[in-house]
Amino acid sequence: MIDLVSEELSRIIAEKGETCPPLDRDTVLLSEGGPIDSLDLAVLVVALEERTGRQPFRSGFRLFRTLGELADLFAEEPT
Amino acid sequence: MPAVSWLHPSFQLHLGDDTLHAAKLLAEAATLAESLPPRQRVGLAGADVRSLLRALLACEQRQCDLFVIRDATADPVAVHGLSSRIVGDSVETQSGLATQGAGLVWLQTSGSTGTPKWVPHRLDALKGLIAPGEGGRARWGLTYHPASFAGLQVILSAALGGHILAAAPGAPGILDLAALAIQHQITHLSATPTFWRSFLIALPAHATLPLQAATLGGEIADQAVLDAVQRRFPGARCRHIYATTEAGAVFSVGDGKAGFPAAWLASGVGDARLSITEAGTLAISSPRTSVSIGNQFLDTGDCVVAAGDRILFRGRGDTMVNIGGVKVWAEEVEAHLLALPFIRDALVSARPNPVTGHILTAAIVLEEGEDGANRAEAIKAHLQSLPRAMRPASIRPCAALPLGPTGKKLRNQS
Repeated sequence: MIDLVSEELSRIIAEKGETCPPLDRDTVLLSEGGPIDSLDLAVLVVALEERTGRQPFRSGFRLFRTLGELADLFAEEPT
Repeated sequence: MPAVSWLHPSFQLHLGDDTLHAAKLLAEAATLAESLPPRQRVGLAGADVRSLLRALLACEQRQCDLFVIRDATADPVAVHGLSSRIVGDSVETQSGLATQGAGLVWLQTSGSTGTPKWVPHRLDALKGLIAPGEGGRARWGLTYHPASFAGLQVILSAALGGHILAAAPGAPGILDLAALAIQHQITHLSATPTFWRSFLIALPAHATLPLQAATLGGEIADQAVLDAVQRRFPGARCRHIYATTEAGAVFSVGDGKAGFPAAWLASGVGDARLSITEAGTLAISSPRTSVSIGNQFLDTGDCVVAAGDRILFRGRGDTMVNIGGVKVWAEEVEAHLLALPFIRDALVSARPNPVTGHILTAAIVLEEGEDGANRAEAIKAHLQSLPRAMRPASIRPCAALPLGPTGKKLRNQS
């Protein structure tokens, strides 16, 4: 799941014409000077929902900050 | 300068690197008032907190109408037919135009496209909505545009109560505002649920804020976001506010639960009366509504549903959807897609999203013989001319759009 999130995130960053930093579990998704903003992050969630067929936010907001935390929410969600 | 001003002498504004005290702002307002002819209609474009406070004080003193224009590049005289405009700390007046100011404050309704509506407010009524603060001096953070109704509420709360207000200059993003909150150790924060979701994600895990009051407004506050805010800031009083630009703030709910008590339909709340229309939307009546509505019931267009002893909000009766704080109409995006000759039909729907509240997705039907994979780039390029919030996050070609029993497109299926 980490790989999938990294792949989609680097695609979104590339489409913006930004340079993609090294991504790992501990990458903070929204950070000062980071490559994406909240609208990009929203698009990332949609991309992951479509790639996995899973909807971890079906019942509303759940807190995540890092790439690993977001991947875990998708990994733990039953299809 | 008036002998007594509503600007509390202890008020302090942090705007970027500048710190401004009440005395300084009052002096600036007095200077501005001297160059302001009485009873004009005055425009202020691209207001920051400092120029807005200055203009509010000066226009009140000179009984001028103040039109607060969000677009910094707009020319109040040419675009809005106003007689004067405030430029920096001086006033330019066009001669020959009728003067008809009456001391009102005009705000523009928000909207992603189209012409915003002007709504007049009485400054006294706006001030009347400000609850006297509890406890000591608060440090407010401004997350709203200063020219918005909600932004003005926050500014007036801090200004009337003698509190500290921290604002970021320009058009700050979520990360700027998270940094602002930490730097000024904000105790009071009022923001949209969309802001709060992004704020919780953007705020470093180790960051501590002495938050005492967390207010959610402007969009539906669902139970999940209320719970998330209360978990992150267990020491804060958490409440959500229901307000409309046309009617002002109507009520606030402080029990930590989504929606509002069903009993309020019978009893009213504060001085507001509530009812549910036949269409299932909330209608309100409040003596302190904006002057053009008066004392009639106003259909808010917000759909509600009864759930036990609660009334819950269910979104809009029309197809307006709020995406990251930007109001968007799905039909407008459909019309934009249909401008492409190879798209036969399009259905744009709002999908719940943990970051922006909602986000648009699109299903499209291509003309005979067209290939979705070949057209994907052209569609993407075509969408670039829309504001970002209006661009669908995913575009799915399909053979036919789902239709409801009346033959209408089924809009809420994604």
